[in-house]
Amino acid sequence: MYRYDTLDKEFLADRTAEFREQTARRLAGEITEDQFKPIRLMNGLYLQLHAYMLRVAIPYGSLDSRQLRKLAWIARTYDKGYGHFTTRTNLQFHWIKLADTPDILDALASVDMHAIQTSGNCIRNVTADPFAGATAEEIDDPRVWSEAMRQWSSLHPEFSFLPRKFKIAVTAAPQDRTAAKVHDIGLVIKRARDGALGFEVMVGGGLGRTPYIGSTIREFLPASRLVSYLEAILRVYNRHGRRDNIYKARIKILVAALGAEEFARQVEEEWEKIGTASDLPDTELARIRAAFAPAVFETLPARSEAFEVAKASNPAFARFVRNNVKPHKKAGYAIVEVSLKAIGETPGDASADQMEVVADLAERYGQDDIRVTHEQNLVLPHVKLDDLATVHAGLAAAGLATPNINLISDIIACPGLDYCALANARAIPVAQHIAEKFADQDRAETIGELKIKISGCINACGHHHVGHIGILGVDKKGEEFYQLTLGGSGAEDAAVGQILGPALPANRVAESVDTLVEVYLRERGEGERFLDTFRRLGVAPFKEAVYAEAH
Amino acid sequence: MKALIANRLTDGEVVFWNDGAWVERFADAQLFDDDAQAQAVEAQGQAQSTLVVDVYLIDLVEADGIWTPLSYRERLKALGPTNRLDHGKQVEGGAVVDALSHAHTSARSTGRVNLIKRK
Amino acid sequence: MPKLIRWRDGDAVLDDSAFTAVADEDDVPAGDVIISLSRFQSEGERLLSEGRAVGVRLEASENVEDLVYDLPRIAVVAVAFPKFRDGRGYTTADLLRARYGYRGEVRAVGDVLREQAGFMVRVGFDAFEPADGATPEQWRHAANRHRHVYQRAADGRAPAFAERGE
Repeated sequence: MYRYDTLDKEFLADRTAEFREQTARRLAGEITEDQFKPIRLMNGLYLQLHAYMLRVAIPYGSLDSRQLRKLAWIARTYDKGYGHFTTRTNLQFHWIKLADTPDILDALASVDMHAIQTSGNCIRNVTADPFAGATAEEIDDPRVWSEAMRQWSSLHPEFSFLPRKFKIAVTAAPQDRTAAKVHDIGLVIKRARDGALGFEVMVGGGLGRTPYIGSTIREFLPASRLVSYLEAILRVYNRHGRRDNIYKARIKILVAALGAEEFARQVEEEWEKIGTASDLPDTELARIRAAFAPAVFETLPARSEAFEVAKASNPAFARFVRNNVKPHKKAGYAIVEVSLKAIGETPGDASADQMEVVADLAERYGQDDIRVTHEQNLVLPHVKLDDLATVHAGLAAAGLATPNINLISDIIACPGLDYCALANARAIPVAQHIAEKFADQDRAETIGELKIKISGCINACGHHHVGHIGILGVDKKGEEFYQLTLGGSGAEDAAVGQILGPALPANRVAESVDTLVEVYLRERGEGERFLDTFRRLGVAPFKEAVYAEAH
Repeated sequence: MKALIANRLTDGEVVFWNDGAWVERFADAQLFDDDAQAQAVEAQGQAQSTLVVDVYLIDLVEADGIWTPLSYRERLKALGPTNRLDHGKQVEGGAVVDALSHAHTSARSTGRVNLIKRK
Repeated sequence: MPKLIRWRDGDAVLDDSAFTAVADEDDVPAGDVIISLSRFQSEGERLLSEGRAVGVRLEASENVEDLVYDLPRIAVVAVAFPKFRDGRGYTTADLLRARYGYRGEVRAVGDVLREQAGFMVRVGFDAFEPADGATPEQWRHAANRHRHVYQRAADGRAPAFAERGE
């Protein structure tokens, strides 16, 4: 993990002191709300329906037990005892007071955490593969590059007032666990034929009103040139992104308007002028890389007797292993996914108690390493197979062992109209009803991988466009209606979902999902996931089944 | 019939205008059946920028003798979130909270008078 | 003349603007003036030949490249911020300093607020017409808030990694 040194800590201290002053000026009426709003947004503070919401950065989804305990403490001290993990791997507190926020930021800074640029028209949290450093699949550790980008983008003087928000994701494995293709910049770590490390650079992906899959503007960027190339992209965007219409201000609109080829040409032209002046020196890259040096692993046999015995004797544990445990690059270890999607609970929420359970388990059994996924779950990336049963028991006691990762009840849902001032409809109750309908774990496993994603409005914070089943809340004459889409994917096979049919009222959504599942189970071929069957059959049989019942 | 709603600057708490003060319970909100008076009060509220933010008038509808916000969003603002009934103003209970919780009337999307587009 | 905050060597002082900002539709008075880009393109030559110092006001939508050829003769570039949230002026200033080596005055005009002082100084602004009544002391305080920076910019400050003595 990257450890803050004196310079990094002083940076945070100066930032929190700055915001404390700015807040005081606002409360005293020295600056207007209009002038203050971008400032508080760039410190992660939104005004929502019931209170302020503070979005704490969890850079590239990585934190340790000390930090998670502090989040639990903040939840108890300043909020209502819980937090919400988001689709950008950050943590939101939903009941915050503006007046408390400077103190909260100080508390975060005491454990090297912050809320810098988690909102506002600036470069947001860079997200990366939650399995970084644990999976055998990765070409290089994406956290190295994410940390480099985090620093480079923090209070960047030229790019703090962009036309709109800017999101970057880095993936390093063939399986994309970051939705890189629907980010403003998606970076795919690659090796050239000669072994040189670099990035495929995709630009202009995004969700929201106009979803786009990103376009590759450079097949291979030498890794050492990352910062200068990003500056070229950001500069072209800062200069030419639209500022007349907030719904047309993202970089995806600029890329679509110019065409990827012309956009790439402008970036290359700018990049050539920038040269290497802003690239990080090798010494700095090495320093950051050293921070992520592989954890100390014991030499263990691939097979753990304790693990095998536990699986054989405890069906619940076996089910947990089947769904929530993934292979680790080191023999005798495993990656453990912690589901924050207990049936009937709010997706992505964790109580302070639960946070402390995860912190304790990570510290004791997990190399003190915790990750957040963009699907609103947590990961303990380094757990010995020998300890897995103990870890499972600890999670289960805290309601954190639901064996549903990537299954139908592992639903992404934004906070929606229950909390969010932008929403048209609620998302949480929809997720809960669907999860309850598919609470039977055998049935859920029979159905297999099925990613449902729910957004309460077109801003798509729930990533509904890339759900295998996407659900978008809309307002029809003051009632909550839901538009279903099928066949979206946020993985390396990224696709925007196709609309199923007219929006459905709230009380028909769960049963319609059931109908869709029935069609899939009836029609599926050997080894086909829901997504595969949809891609083979198209929308027609699904649409017919759901809307036929309307008669 | 209208009421004036806002969020308190210091803590974001939803508040309602009552005769020159800001109250936390919708049950205590001042009701306006005179549009001119409502708009005058709205202007007053919007000028109190060190006290409140996001000040706007909302339409109300009557059901069983109790006035409730016409729009679903504003009913939620007056109550709290539906996934945590132990959080927010609804915890207090009472006749008005009950009425808000059970209001079934079809609501216009924003309920905001003049349909000013929000960012 | 509007009052100006001048930034020099980490300090902020109050000064006279020394230039009259002239709208396109108005006659150019005597003395040193700041005119629009289009006016400079049509009348700049003549005005300079009269021995005045001439500055150019660049709107947010205008390209700094259109000034490059004439930069050696331009005393001031006044970079306009139509709204403080419009960040194009930051790129303009950085390009003027870092790419085109401009040594004249780069002045921030328009919706210029002291909470953005730090960013402006970093990208090379050295003069400011604050819209919020900020004093030089307040400007200096805001601009000097951060002991460390993480990236290179036109001000030449050493990024944190350079401070670490690598």
